[in-house]
Amino acid sequence: MIKFWKKRLQNPISTKNLEFNDELKEIKKELKSVIAKRFAGSLAIRMVSSGSCNACEAECNALSNPYYDLERLGIHFVASPRHADAMLLSGVVSINMYHHVLDAYHQMPQPAHIITLGDCPLLEGTFKQNFAIKGAKSLNLPISHHIQGCPPEPKEIIKGLLEFIKNPKDF
Amino acid sequence: MKDFPRLIARFAVENEDNFEVITVYDHKIQREFLDKNSPVLNSISSIYTTATWFERKMRDDFGIKIAGTYDNRPLIHHERFPAIYPMRKEFQEQEVSFSQYSPYKYETVKGEGVFEVPVGPIHAGIIEPGHFQFSQEGERMLHLEVRHFYTYRAIEKSLEGIKLLDSREIIEKISGNESIAYQSALFNIIIQASSIKYDDKLKKYHCLLLEIERIIHHLTDIGFIPNDAGFGAALSFASQLSEDTRVFLKKISGHRFGFGSIEFETKEYDANMIENFLNTLEEKVKWFENWIMDIPSLWDRFDTTGTLNKKKARKYGVVGVVARASGKKVDSRDNDFYKKYGFILQNESVGDVGSRFKLRIKEIYNSIEMIRNFIDEALHVEQPKSFKDGEYMSFVESSIGELFMFVKLKDGLIERFYARDPSFINWQALYLMMEKDIIADFPLINKSCDLSYAGSDL
Repeated sequence: MIKFWKKRLQNPISTKNLEFNDELKEIKKELKSVIAKRFAGSLAIRMVSSGSCNACEAECNALSNPYYDLERLGIHFVASPRHADAMLLSGVVSINMYHHVLDAYHQMPQPAHIITLGDCPLLEGTFKQNFAIKGAKSLNLPISHHIQGCPPEPKEIIKGLLEFIKNPKDF
Repeated sequence: MKDFPRLIARFAVENEDNFEVITVYDHKIQREFLDKNSPVLNSISSIYTTATWFERKMRDDFGIKIAGTYDNRPLIHHERFPAIYPMRKEFQEQEVSFSQYSPYKYETVKGEGVFEVPVGPIHAGIIEPGHFQFSQEGERMLHLEVRHFYTYRAIEKSLEGIKLLDSREIIEKISGNESIAYQSALFNIIIQASSIKYDDKLKKYHCLLLEIERIIHHLTDIGFIPNDAGFGAALSFASQLSEDTRVFLKKISGHRFGFGSIEFETKEYDANMIENFLNTLEEKVKWFENWIMDIPSLWDRFDTTGTLNKKKARKYGVVGVVARASGKKVDSRDNDFYKKYGFILQNESVGDVGSRFKLRIKEIYNSIEMIRNFIDEALHVEQPKSFKDGEYMSFVESSIGELFMFVKLKDGLIERFYARDPSFINWQALYLMMEKDIIADFPLINKSCDLSYAGSDL
């Protein structure tokens, strides 16, 4: 381990100064009361893939690397829908996942939010509705926010999540 | 053990007056023709265990009856899937309603004190959906059934009737981690069907991108494997490297996953930039390797865990990293073209988590070496206008293993598309690795293979 600590002390902090970092400082102040009130101090997200190509999941995994370090913003991924404030839904909502997504949603404590991730859930991208692809709208659940892109890059996901915290609305 | 040909794929094509079942082995192709009114196919699953999923898939897709099989359960048709055979040409519905819930009978071990642990389809981590059913005797795993096809998007059906050049947009999104491999496989077919020459410069550029994709995949895994053994620092380090490489891929191809990058032209890139990046990366991976190899508590978890021996690896015909870690020398890149640019087949012998981990590091070095040799100048080739009808097959070594693609063209349109992801074979061999281990080792073993869900589900 000594090797690691030597190396670690030589390297600077690698968290990237994203373009919206200044904006972030402002938002943080503003958010404090919102997050405290709505999400009890931090936002817990349950990621559910309902038939994506795994690119969205790869980008979400990238959010926890030292460059993006999502947790510094008080947003973290949890292991169960029962611990979550919001469900981050990626993928096309396939015929075989449809009921499982509903199950996961009903396990969430209310008020529960759904954030759709990527072009797939709203069928805006390559995949169009067919007998095996249902789309998120067919779930008949309120969708609070949408993050577009195929796949959205990590910084776009962060941006989207912050927008959601600022203004969670149903559309 | 008697040496028998390796099963690559087995799938059906609907012709005007029969169903044609094509079975692809490594040295031969077999065709069987079935009557359309009452199609019955003789199972080969007693010889090839991995034929099971292929045959179950055919039954769900076409309604072909499988004779002499031990497994009559549906594969894609889950609990509420309607009674349809979607791959038949007559099926043209765009919307179907769910049918009544009918339970799925899992493959389990019975006995006093034996209990079952169902996991999934939604998992605790940020991963794709799939189901694992464990039969447990205390902590020890007696059996595991892998049940997938939750992400079934009817890719094969949705590609039918469209132009070959228009199919890329869907094919590149079959499996995000293998996007470049899928695009390359399609490109090979485009080349075959249009009879234009695959220019060496263009081929080198495509291979360069494919190796970058492989490096990213391996870097992600060498971080996640130690992380699943409780060593998070490795993930922090390796995930930085994989992010660096993804940014690098974007610089070269224009997209972080290389979507839309296998084209008839190469993008302009700066050879010096590539050289510098590769040097830094190589140095960092070396440091990482040196560091990880020195942590005994980690190797205590890696060694002898999730072993797949060579004999079983051969019997199941596994491919890719899993096969090479078990000492089976199978790699689609094992040809003169790749060898000219520095390809050396990497392999290990034990077949445990440690072997797969070490193999990934070795392959990163070899890929870095190849990328250096693939650097060449930019090129633009005319896009072909027309394609010859017929059947085309291609093989590409994706970051997981050998990818097989089949396209049948009729009147210039895709009549049948089929792709066998390397994961489709390897998933069926996953349970073999659990025999001697406890359930807490499962995430570690699963991650060391890092198979695709979306790719095998189609």
